[in-house]
This record gives sequence, C-alpha cells and structure tokens, in this order.
Amino acid sequence: MNNNNPSSKKRIIDVDIHESVTYKDLFKYLENPYRRYIEDANWIQEKHMPYTQPSVAGVNRADAVVPDGRPAGSDLPFMQEQLLDDIGHEYGILTGALDPSPSSMHGWYEMATALASAYNDWQIENWLEKDERLYGSVHINAEDRDGAIREIERVGSHPKMVQILLPIDDKMWGDPYYHPIYEAAQKHDLMIGMHHNEPPVYFGKWPRYFIEWHSLLPTSHMMQVTNMIFNGVFEKFPNLKLMMIEGGFTFVPHLMWKLDQQYNDLRHEVPWIKRKPSEIMKEHVRFCTQPSEELNKKDFLSVIDQMGSDEMICFATDYPHWDFDSPHRSLPSLDPDLKKKIFSENARAFYPKLK
Amino acid sequence: MKQQTVCHVNDMQPGELRETELGRISVVVCKTPDGEFYAFTNKCIHQGGPLSKGKLCGAPQSDNPGEYTFCQDGEILRCPWHGREFNVKDDGRMLANPKHKLPSFPVKIEDDYVIVYK
Ligand code: FES
Repeated sequence: MNNNNPSSKKRIIDVDIHESVTYKDLFKYLENPYRRYIEDANWIQEKHMPYTQPSVAGVNRADAVVPDGRPAGSDLPFMQEQLLDDIGHEYGILTGALDPSPSSMHGWYEMATALASAYNDWQIENWLEKDERLYGSVHINAEDRDGAIREIERVGSHPKMVQILLPIDDKMWGDPYYHPIYEAAQKHDLMIGMHHNEPPVYFGKWPRYFIEWHSLLPTSHMMQVTNMIFNGVFEKFPNLKLMMIEGGFTFVPHLMWKLDQQYNDLRHEVPWIKRKPSEIMKEHVRFCTQPSEELNKKDFLSVIDQMGSDEMICFATDYPHWDFDSPHRSLPSLDPDLKKKIFSENARAFYPKLK
Repeated sequence: MKQQTVCHVNDMQPGELRETELGRISVVVCKTPDGEFYAFTNKCIHQGGPLSKGKLCGAPQSDNPGEYTFCQDGEILRCPWHGREFNVKDDGRMLANPKHKLPSFPVKIEDDYVIVYK
C-alpha cells in the first residue's frame, strides 16, 4: 500500500476518519469526581451490540492496530503514516469512535456532559492542533440540551470544528427539542453530522445478525432526513446543513422521488414546506460514498444521474474501520471533473470552515 | 523465472502467514495445518487490503439457519479489511463467490526451504 508516489495521489477530503481515545488519555481533560469514578471503578461505557465483531480484528482493519499494540486510530503518527501521508489527504474530518459516546448515555447526564467536554478538549489538543489537515466534530450530550448548548458555545467557534454529531436516539432530529441546538450550530458555522450511533435504529433494537444491521444502516439515514425535512428544520435554519456519514448513497434517488411524491399528495399537513423535498435535499444534505457498493461506472453514473446532481456525495474512507473504502479501489474510474467533485470539491463547498 | 526463498519449512507454524517479495510483487505465504504451503498475491482482489495482515482461520458452514459447523480451520485466508474469505485449498477461491479467486504463485520445497516463484 505504498502510494507515496505523488502521481498516484488524489486530492482528497475524507469526511469520516475515526480517531479513538483510551479512557486513560481522557483523564487529563476530565474534572473530578468524574475522573475518579472512571479510574477507581475501571468504568467503560456499556456497549449494546449483541454480535461478535465482523472482521478479523473486531470493527477495525487488522492492519490498523498501532504497531506498539494500542488500538487502531489512537495514534496520530501512525494515522499519518497509514492514511494521511500515504493516501495524500488534503483534509480529514474526525468523527470519533463512538466510545465514549456521551450522546448515547442514558441518564447520568452530568457525567455524559463532562465526558463530551473532555473528549472535545482531547481532540483539539491531540489531533486538530497537531495536524493542519485534520478537522473535527463537536461531541455533545444531546440528552442534556442546556449542557450541549454550553459545550457548543465553548468549543464551536474553534476554527477546526466543522460539525456537531447527534445521536440516533428516541427523538428524531426534526423534533423541536433539537432546534436550540441547531440555532447554536448555525451561530458557529457548524453543520450537523450524522454518524450511526447507539442505539442504532429508531426503535432501539437490533436485528438478529450484524449483516442485517449493517445492510440496514441507510434506513436510519432515510428516517432522519425525512424527519428533518418535513419538520421544517431547513426552513427554520436556512444555513444549517446535514452530512449523512456512513450510510452510502445509492438509496438517495429513491428517497428524493418518494418525498417529492408524498409532498405532492400530503403538502397540507406540512404547509411550512415551500419547496420540493428533493430541492431541499440538494441544497442541505450531503451523503458519503462509504460504505460503497461495488458499482461499475455505468451503474455509478446512473445513480448520480437519478439524483439530478453531482454535488451531493462526498468521499469517506471510514478509516480505520473494517469497512474502510480505499480511495484507489472503491469507486469506478470517473471523469476528472466528477472525480474532483466527489473526492474533494463537494465537501469543500459543504463545510464553510474548510478553505 | 523469478524466485524467492521465503524461509525454512520449520520457521513457519501451521496457520501462519508471512509476507515476501517476488521482485516487485508482494506475496503472502500460507502454511496450512497439514504442513502444506501456498502463496498468493498480497493484495486483496476487492480493494487491495494487505492479506498478510489478515488471518488463516476456518469457516463456519451451514445448511440450516441458526446452525453452525466450523470447517477447514487454518485453511481460509481472511482479509484484514472487509473480511472476505479465500479458500487456500481451493486455489484461493472466494467462499461467497467462487467465481473470484486470488492470483496464486507456485511454491516448491527444496532442501527444506520454502521457495515461491513465478
Ligand atoms: S480489500 Fe479485502 S475484503 Fe476488501
């Protein structure tokens, strides 16, 4: 995998990279008593995934474990060597590794809010300020809305924080509960990032097999987009945008057709919507290529054609996870203009803080 | 003909993978539990994952939902990225889609040394 030859480098803005923290490394950024709670009891957040993990090294690429044995994604120099320098990234956007995942802690809100702050400080100091290519996501505890807004006010204006990650939880994202968070997001030029989270689906349950859950990720994306559009979020917050991470993109044409048809029939229920839902999507929502199905060029172009826009998808590797997409191999060969849009320009146009 | 001496036959344990170079080609050498050696391209045919960082493991098989048997322990090469399974005993064919297989290289044992060539 040596792509250091400059001619093999693409200009890439990778919108999904998972940095990961060990709880021990968070201590420095965590006040007591929270730090003591973790330290004294060896606490780690309970995870609910009922499956053995999908690949030969859990959810990570087996070759992404740091050579000294630390977890994949936990070491900047190794990430530089294996990803940023090797592939030749222009920018990468960090999305966390969902552990700890303050947003999906139920109860003990004050602990979750403190964890989110510690995480953000750790991220800024150890990644965003150490590699100029890296940009970050604001982690919040969305269940404590006031605390979340305080956190957005505290770190949201950092020039390298580009989005807020929200949880998929028991409230869908169009719900008025989240609107004050969107207001704070708009104020700091932050977009909303959706990365599937725990619990994974609206119903909070898991299918029997991992392969089902992973196949169905796009359904949770469809729910949130539909909900935000019809609840008028983008009418109320015209500068707010939504990056749908790790749901793929081949479902997008279906969603556009479906929502437009439904709007034609049922507009009277949501009279605050003034534009076709597909227009709102084109303007406000972006989707990631990853995880990419194996499409040939003809099929790939036909999906773009059906979207009616070549500006809606952005490239993501999902490094270091097992379903990583190689920038060199995951997409069919594309014409230079389109390639440029997907690999970098669409993301650049989407995130106002990326220059 | 290019060739490369990999190691002594006893240097590798059954179930072990080792990376070697054949000229400019990276090759993964597998030793199966019966002591046989196999060599394949070290770039996965899916997206190019380095197979030598994967695992030589077995494969669950079943004819009935919810039932598992575990077969071919040490004979299935699983990619370190997306986990695709290749049967080293069947010419590197992919279990999920045997139409696809890993390009392979012949392996000779000479004076107890493992040699791959092309
Ligand atoms: S690169 Fe090997 S399974 Fe994808």
